[in-house]
Amino acid sequence: MFKKFDEKESISGILQLKSSVQKSIRSKILESYPHLENYLDTILPKKDAFKIVKCHDHIEVLINSSGEQQFFRHREGQWMPTLRLLHKYPFFLPMQQVDKGAIRFVLSGANIMCPGLTSPGAQMTEVEKDTVVAIMAEGKEHALAIGKTTLSTADIAKINKGIGVENCHYLNDGLWQMKAIK
Amino acid sequence: MAEENRLRIGPKEGVTYPIQVVYCGNCTMPIEYCEYYPEYDRCKQWLEKNLPREFEKVKIGDNSDTAIGEEEKKRQKRGGKGIIKTKKKEEGPKQVCVSRAPRGKKKSVTVVTGLSTFDIDLKVAAKFFGQRFACGSSVTGDDEIVIQGDVKDDLFDVIPEKWSEIDEDFIEDLGDQKR
Repeated sequence: MFKKFDEKESISGILQLKSSVQKSIRSKILESYPHLENYLDTILPKKDAFKIVKCHDHIEVLINSSGEQQFFRHREGQWMPTLRLLHKYPFFLPMQQVDKGAIRFVLSGANIMCPGLTSPGAQMTEVEKDTVVAIMAEGKEHALAIGKTTLSTADIAKINKGIGVENCHYLNDGLWQMKAIK
Repeated sequence: MAEENRLRIGPKEGVTYPIQVVYCGNCTMPIEYCEYYPEYDRCKQWLEKNLPREFEKVKIGDNSDTAIGEEEKKRQKRGGKGIIKTKKKEEGPKQVCVSRAPRGKKKSVTVVTGLSTFDIDLKVAAKFFGQRFACGSSVTGDDEIVIQGDVKDDLFDVIPEKWSEIDEDFIEDLGDQKR
């Protein structure tokens, strides 16, 4: 999603959000990530004024008042956390672990293929299709990508071929490189 | 199994959030991923300079891993082009140019260019100049700030004072410019 993203070219506008919209975004995020309940106030304080950065290809990025990117979404999809946020609060997404061999491909933006999730070095937690997941790696502590499953984990194990998780945001992509916006 | 626990969803006990993750200054990724960056050597240099303690850890890991690691890698070798491209940074000459341009008969403005080669936010810089010299100051181009009034001579002191990475030698005086 952010493979060809460029800070200068891809941003089409920044909007200040109405407080009613802020509220609905907050509740939507809480709904999709119930584990964030006790921490959402520190991530998105109620009094804070967030902004939305509209980008090309129907991508929207939610930023807080100091300009740090917090969440992003594609069209009307689910809000997904940025990796920087996920590194701070790694617990609120279901995690999938890929093996060592897959790391370099994921870091260059490839989707996660099923064999990389089923081999001995990998591990899966059970999730349904179309879930937002954090991609962890064998022997590493932090997440390296955020993706959306295209198959349920049961199917991934069964079919074991093709794309299992769609790579949405990975280390060193356009969103990661984006600087804080004033 | 401990590994199983690692992937469990939900806050872990005994860990205070937010977690502070150390990022590499060269590749911006968490340190553990530096080895997948094409410029790993540069990352190592950065690590050695800024976080010597972490560097020691990496070094120890490197040496003990080579024997066992290679065998492991063979098993999970994959084809294709998995090479991460580095973002090419344009390494132009780092220099700030200041010049004076006339404005009307007896007034002039000061033009500052090249500040962005030092990764300085131009908007902030313009605001700072305006406040400092009590005058108008605005970003007028891709890498250009125009300060109203002739403050060229002051800039040689002000810029190094505000941004310590810019030495006075980096600032070049282009003299008067015609408009």
